[in-house]
Amino acid sequence: MTRINLAAVPNAEHRRMLADSVADFTARGTDIARVRRLRGTREEYDRAVWEQMAGFGWLGILVPESYGGLGLGLTEMAIVAKGLARALTPEPLTATAVLAATALVAGENEALKRESLPRLVSGALQPVLAWQEAPGELDPGNAQARAAPFEGGYRLNGTKRYMPGAAQADAFLVSAQSGGTLALFWLPKDTAGLRFGLETLADGRCFGTLDMRDAHVPQSALVARGIAAREALDRAFDFGATIAGAELAGVMERALEMTLDYLKTRIQFGKPIGAFQALQHRAVDLHIQKELANAVLDEALAAMDGGAKAATRAALASRVKARCADAALKITREAIQLHGAIGFTDEYDAGLFLKRAMTLAAWLGNANWHRRRYAGLTLCGKAEGKPAGGDL
Amino acid sequence: MTDWNAMADGDFRREVRAFFEAEYPPHLRYILRRARWHEMRDWWRKLDDKGWIAPNWPREWGGMALDAGKMVIYLEELERHGIARAPDQGITQVGPLIMRFGTDAQQAHYLPRTRSAEYIWCQGYSEPNAGSDLAALQTAAVAEGDHFVVNGQKIWTTLADDATHIYLLARTDKTAKKQSGISFLIADLKTPGITLRPIRNLAGHDEFCQVFFDNVRVPRGNLVGALNDGWTVAKALLGFERLGIGSPRRPQYALQRLERVARAKGLLDDAGFADRFVALKLDLEDGAALYGRFVEQVKRGEALGPEVSMLKIWTMETWQRLAELLVEAGDEQGVVAGVHDVAGVETDFLNPFYYSRPATIYGGSSEIQRNILAKYVLKLPS
Repeated sequence: MTRINLAAVPNAEHRRMLADSVADFTARGTDIARVRRLRGTREEYDRAVWEQMAGFGWLGILVPESYGGLGLGLTEMAIVAKGLARALTPEPLTATAVLAATALVAGENEALKRESLPRLVSGALQPVLAWQEAPGELDPGNAQARAAPFEGGYRLNGTKRYMPGAAQADAFLVSAQSGGTLALFWLPKDTAGLRFGLETLADGRCFGTLDMRDAHVPQSALVARGIAAREALDRAFDFGATIAGAELAGVMERALEMTLDYLKTRIQFGKPIGAFQALQHRAVDLHIQKELANAVLDEALAAMDGGAKAATRAALASRVKARCADAALKITREAIQLHGAIGFTDEYDAGLFLKRAMTLAAWLGNANWHRRRYAGLTLCGKAEGKPAGGDL
Repeated sequence: MTDWNAMADGDFRREVRAFFEAEYPPHLRYILRRARWHEMRDWWRKLDDKGWIAPNWPREWGGMALDAGKMVIYLEELERHGIARAPDQGITQVGPLIMRFGTDAQQAHYLPRTRSAEYIWCQGYSEPNAGSDLAALQTAAVAEGDHFVVNGQKIWTTLADDATHIYLLARTDKTAKKQSGISFLIADLKTPGITLRPIRNLAGHDEFCQVFFDNVRVPRGNLVGALNDGWTVAKALLGFERLGIGSPRRPQYALQRLERVARAKGLLDDAGFADRFVALKLDLEDGAALYGRFVEQVKRGEALGPEVSMLKIWTMETWQRLAELLVEAGDEQGVVAGVHDVAGVETDFLNPFYYSRPATIYGGSSEIQRNILAKYVLKLPS
């Protein structure tokens, strides 16, 4: 486990090194048998593997160096997420190192940042962002949870849902309405008044549900409020959706490789089935979807790392998530069909890729939701020249 | 003479754009059909006077000698301003082939006349029984003294009736295997025995022709490249053509038209329509991201591989779906020929549809492009 000083070498070179180290890690540090073993368990992932990932510095890619991170960009995070997703690694990289880390970094609680960010980076502390409450309701401003002033701190009530990677979470970054504005709070798992539950997902991972009943936190638990809280959540959402897109890109890439291998080796009617034009053309259409997904992803990553403004960032994140979700679903569904009956068995891996694609596609807004957000951000309303629905 | 390649990209783009905007006839912007020579003659002269008619040609033949990066900018600006393609195959196709494979005498004779448009070219490749399977072509050229005697017919010859000359593939060895018995010839269309029959397309335009060869005597000096090596000559250009063909500019223009009509008719308030519209818009924008990758590759001076076929498939199929939605958006008006006033927006519903239709057929059909990708990129067996 060597931690390379990535900032010291040029972009193309350090990105290649990063991709190599991720490929090396997935070849040795994880395998499909481990993924299968963890399916449906209450652990969801392996803390020892998480700490190995921390050892490479990957959890701190988006955390500034002053808080113990690498201070790199989404491009680097996408390389890691895509590589890990190729191996269906269940560790909660996007949930913690993207969503939670981004919200925390964007917050205004300096003491909390100094205390918790280095521990997040080292793998000692695994927080998740607890913001969503209802299915398909992805506007953080519509949170129903309440935080009322109480004994010099706050008392929180409400329910947060659809949090992957929460099974072993040590802390929650919780959004709530407080005094007529949105606010973000830090709740350690052992806070009194919290009840935590799990729902098993199609791919064997879990969504966590957090029930807060008079959960009492001190004033120092306030991470951000008002515009700052809103911006932290928006940024975390866009970054999370983009990196979930990178995960989908990894899933589709590996599923297509498996399918092409099968088309080249499966013999029926005296020849490899990949020699049949009907199947060749379908394979080509899957390849085109994969290339479109990567082209959009790369364009978005470069623009976001270049400091794209909030509305542009949101439009790009939606383009990425919409394309990657649809492409990954199409490719993994076709992977089953092109493998025939073996593809529908649990022992064959193709189904694992389909199910991961499904859970990633549904999380943080499905393709249809993102296309509608994109429409709202980019199509001018009836009033000429005025963007409609651009709330960011 | 200006060394265009030494200019900063932005300066070059501005200079090209300014000239196009100032000089190109406005009524010929974004026409939804192939332009005819009588319409484009003046523009050709203007470009030639400025020394800009042959951006891809070297200096010695009166070209701009643009490198790949500047060439992409030049083409982008042509497209951006909606400049119609003149009958330009002499500049884009046969000129470069003559430079590469032609004799000194051929170069000295044909290149200046091609640049000045004294000679206007059409392409004689396809035949009634040789479309996607081009190497099955049967037009025969038999050596007889210092001539070839050519018999056969060519078809889908774009703007042959505007052309003065044709470059064609003809079979010169019937015993050889398919691709290896073919030669590349050029012929003056006034040669006795050549007759043209215009073919009307679905849009009602006579853009292409059938060309008949009946004992046509073509001088041996009109052979370009080696005898029986015509397949090599013809194949030399295909990569860059597929990048140009895969440019998102025409579908982007179709999208703008569709958005204006949709807005004028209030269709974006219809959730069903809006969902389809934005899905198409994203298909196009994501395709533009893919195009951008290939453009970067060209700008770096790298050759385009068979991967570029995916761009043609995606751009053209997306363009067609946009044009289909435009007809639908017109409701009953969508099938009435001509230009309509749609709440103040001038709209032709049918021509964009017709214009996009052959895009998945010409330049290698979508099916052939998929075969290419399956074989050379995905390495699927045959």
